[in-house]
Amino acid sequence: MTDKIISVYWFAILVLVAGGIIAMVSVFYNSSYDVREIEANILSNKIGNCFSNVGYLKQEVFNNGNFLINQDNFLEKCNLNFNSTEEGLQYFSQVNFFKGNDLENSFFEVAQGNKNLKADCSILKDYEKISKCVEKSFFTLDKSGNLYLIKILSVIDKSEKNVK
Amino acid sequence: MKKRGTILIENIIFIILNLLFLSVLALFLIKQGSGVVMLEESYAKQIALLVDAAEPGMTLKINMDKAKKISDKNGIDFKEVLEINENTVVIKLSQESGYSYAFFNNVDVGKPYPDGEFYIMVVDKK
Repeated sequence: MTDKIISVYWFAILVLVAGGIIAMVSVFYNSSYDVREIEANILSNKIGNCFSNVGYLKQEVFNNGNFLINQDNFLEKCNLNFNSTEEGLQYFSQVNFFKGNDLENSFFEVAQGNKNLKADCSILKDYEKISKCVEKSFFTLDKSGNLYLIKILSVIDKSEKNVK
Repeated sequence: MKKRGTILIENIIFIILNLLFLSVLALFLIKQGSGVVMLEESYAKQIALLVDAAEPGMTLKINMDKAKKISDKNGIDFKEVLEINENTVVIKLSQESGYSYAFFNNVDVGKPYPDGEFYIMVVDKK
């Protein structure tokens, strides 16, 4: 009789454990893979490579003290396409240039994409439903040896595809 | 002697029920991990990220053996599993489902083609 009671309790424990495992697995597999941070990192690297190569500003971008890149040709020059299957613009990119002797004030800026997404970067980072922001910065030289700091901000929304 | 026999049968039934229970649980976990919807999403996103990081002149060779097994099982020709529509990767592993994910790299990926259980994609300048 005692053995049977133990068996019933044993199966009750098994059901509880299995229920827990099933609930955890369901939650895990029903959530989307959030790849936006990786995507934003790739976007930043791509923009970085577009402006600078092996530590020097590219001549297609900066020549004789003039920027050959602007708001209109930024996407074309950097080989980017911000169209997406989701409704509305899902990307935002902003590049700021600072002179080596003044790292506070940007003297040149270029941006493309959905400007509204930029506001998400100042909201709590833990809140996963908002856009993912990645900011990268690096120093580079022009051919005359002048030092510049380039700051790249990449923001990706795509919440519909990455958050359930 | 008669009592010992009863104990043995009870124990065997107990062990069998336990094994049955654990098998059902294991089957559930395996089935969840190899679901069509999950694989479509994971392949589409991984391929989109690969294309994003690719440079013109590169050839991408992607191992899609799991996709091949599932598409064969669901009666989908492996040639139709991966498609690139403009700047979107589309993965289809069954008649009813499909998943697409956009990439931002403005390159010409061309038409991906299967090679055994692999898919080959050639990345060129647009």
